[in-house]
Amino acid sequence: MINNYEELSFNEAIDLLRQWREGNERKSEDIMQLWLQVVVSDLDKIGNEKYLVLEQVIYAALDCHMFELATMCIYQLAMDFPGSLRVMRYNAALLEAEEKYDEALEVLDRIIKSDETNSVARKRRVAILKAQGLITEAIKDLVDYLKKFMSDVEGWQELCELYLQVQEYSRAAFCAEELILHQPHNHLMHQKLADIRYTMGGMENLELAKTYYCQALKLNPDNMRALLGLFLVTSNLLSQYKSWGAGGKRAEAMKLCAWAQSRARRPAPRDKRPPAPQLADALQALAITD
Amino acid sequence: MTELLLDPNIRLWVFLPIVIITFLVGIVRHYVSIILSSQKKIELLQVQDSQVMIRARLLRENGKYLPKQSFAMRRHWFNNEETGYFKVQKRAATSQNPMTDPGMMTDMLKGNVTNVLPMIVIGGWINWMFSGFLTTKVPFPLTLRFKPMLQRGVELAYLDASWVSSASWYFLNVFGLRTIYALVLGENNAADQSKIMQEQMSGAAMAMPPDPKAAFKAEWEALEITEHRWAVATAESDLLNLKDEY
Repeated sequence: MINNYEELSFNEAIDLLRQWREGNERKSEDIMQLWLQVVVSDLDKIGNEKYLVLEQVIYAALDCHMFELATMCIYQLAMDFPGSLRVMRYNAALLEAEEKYDEALEVLDRIIKSDETNSVARKRRVAILKAQGLITEAIKDLVDYLKKFMSDVEGWQELCELYLQVQEYSRAAFCAEELILHQPHNHLMHQKLADIRYTMGGMENLELAKTYYCQALKLNPDNMRALLGLFLVTSNLLSQYKSWGAGGKRAEAMKLCAWAQSRARRPAPRDKRPPAPQLADALQALAITD
Repeated sequence: MTELLLDPNIRLWVFLPIVIITFLVGIVRHYVSIILSSQKKIELLQVQDSQVMIRARLLRENGKYLPKQSFAMRRHWFNNEETGYFKVQKRAATSQNPMTDPGMMTDMLKGNVTNVLPMIVIGGWINWMFSGFLTTKVPFPLTLRFKPMLQRGVELAYLDASWVSSASWYFLNVFGLRTIYALVLGENNAADQSKIMQEQMSGAAMAMPPDPKAAFKAEWEALEITEHRWAVATAESDLLNLKDEY
């Protein structure tokens, strides 16, 4: 990583900023340095990209607690785009960063009122409620939001986290299932559902947890958390089966338990692992019809 | 047969003006349509409908990764006879007649003002102003079939088909300047007239807006016949089988 940003030329700095912007890299402190040392003096040279850079800088400034700088940037944007909802959103972000939550909510409400379909503003509302620690209110808001924007993966993910915070496990499990529906090939989603099921406890849930840990491991054999989960679930199940006396299931659980142990013991061979052979099958499963 | 000689004044006062006029009209139309174009406002209900459709489709496609009970629960929520989403949500069938929708009316009017009107006016004016000139000659021989295309307004039976009349030159410009517009104004500009003509040809089929009611019904049917086969069921045995490969 380069640390002497003042040696960069203006164009290089702009290119770097663009690269970060497109790669969704936050890098707030680096952006601040670049901005103050290189870019700020002749911003007007780059035409319309100026606004994108300004937006990037606003968030970076908010991250670094440089509120005056953010205010200045927002002011510049507001001068060029009077009445723009997008600029209003940055206003709300500024208020939020300064912890003036009520005012921020007011601004967001105004945005939602003038554009009902503005999902970002609605999600920001939830975030503010969460920041204030009003989890139940946040949940209520988020559920309302999800009723309208049902295929928002981030929304479901957040709702899952919120439900976990208030220990509503069965609802959290519902959200986790929704996540699997949206991203069936992400092993973390399967692992999450298994975690929740394991926490809920009970014979049925443990069986489900076992299955989903296995699915997560199938998708990514290096998922250590899933390995540990599988081990815990199977050993738990073994003690349960003893009292139930289920022969075939017990043998399988035993095998899985041993497998998880042996697999967890050896160091993960990061470099020369062959490409996952089940990748082809997974891709096959992606097809709509089977 | 002696070669036909054109007055150089025709080049200066007919040939070039037509090119310039068509080009400038295209530019003006581009900017006028930018001024007139209204940001289409999406309605919350539309967003909700489309998101519901996506979710139902995902349930159909990826439902096999859920336990049977969860799948059945979700399907019940969508499809239940009394309280299912697809049954309860009554969407008004989109108005078949665009005349009843004032927003659509203004859109149509704007489209006409920017597209059809200049075409008629400028075309008529050019026909009247520059009628009866031969403007140029294409540098290759053509068959008689091309005469009505290239010699509109000049009905001479014995004239070589390579000659282009002023009215035809105007039309050639209208269709031929597309790439120039793309160069000057960027892609997707509003100046291109030939695109509009194509749209008018196929417009009747495309104008039909998506009807949420029909879409809901289709999705309801598709979901109803979806069978749940648990894809994760074999995960354990798969895992045990492949343990040797690593």
